[in-house]
Amino acid sequence: MSELKFVITGTAGVGKTTAICALSDVPPVATDADTTDDLSIIKSTTTVAFDFGEVVLEDGARVRIYGTPGQERFRHMWEIIAEGALGLIILVDNSRPDPLDDLMIYMSNFKQLIEDTGVVIGVTRCNGSDRVSIDDYYSFLERRDMFCPVIEADPRSREDMVVLMDALMAMLEYA
Amino acid sequence: MLAEKEENSIKRSVVDRNLKELIANNDSIYAVVLSSIDGHAIANQAQEGFEDSKLAAMTSSCLALGEKIALEANQKGCDFVIIQNQDGFLALKRVGRKLVLTTLADKSINMGMLLSATRTAAEALYNEIT
Repeated sequence: MSELKFVITGTAGVGKTTAICALSDVPPVATDADTTDDLSIIKSTTTVAFDFGEVVLEDGARVRIYGTPGQERFRHMWEIIAEGALGLIILVDNSRPDPLDDLMIYMSNFKQLIEDTGVVIGVTRCNGSDRVSIDDYYSFLERRDMFCPVIEADPRSREDMVVLMDALMAMLEYA
Repeated sequence: MLAEKEENSIKRSVVDRNLKELIANNDSIYAVVLSSIDGHAIANQAQEGFEDSKLAAMTSSCLALGEKIALEANQKGCDFVIIQNQDGFLALKRVGRKLVLTTLADKSINMGMLLSATRTAAEALYNEIT
């Protein structure tokens, strides 16, 4: 039976752990610790090693999904988790001050994985009055000679997360 | 605000004293780090210059993994994570809910001594600052 490994990354608090909980067909593993810094204003715990979940596809193939810690001080985990991965989902919180800047941080840190495999961007916390639209994301990427699907997604919604995963699998298939 | 500052400075001196004692009383322990459970370095003492920020983040990941592995094995309350290497040891010990104490020792140490010294220091820190 084939096994696929995907990685979900993005800023702290964007919803990576939530997304894995929504997607996983098995009880997810979360390695979280109490927050002791400014992040405690928005959440009481944060991922410090990885989150893990598993999705079983219709043909029986298993997709193992790993979520990274968001903060750059956990870069050591990014490198470990990226090893052997077949694709990347970057979640971007559109309500943060500069979501495009956030996106660039993860695009450059996972550059090798993206070049070797593929990436899909899920934009969370969108609302009608956003300063940055989905089109802005596409123009931003185009200016940097990059192209990948950018999809609005709610990490709490399994349906939305499945759309991201399907987009990633389609990309990998036709790349 | 002033009282809070004063309290923090007292805590800082308690931490420094405890970490210094741990190094001074154990020749084979060459560095100690106190960090937050979410990976921020708080204080360190070392025989030589020492960069603690990366180690603090890694410590946090490692302890969280230890806890999850314990749960998977139907055990709970992960207390120590011990990393034994060809040329030394690291012992990671929780201090209350929010802190981690890490001791780095060369290979001449007896593991029991390392664990005992780390535990004593962690308990002293817990009693004095939390």
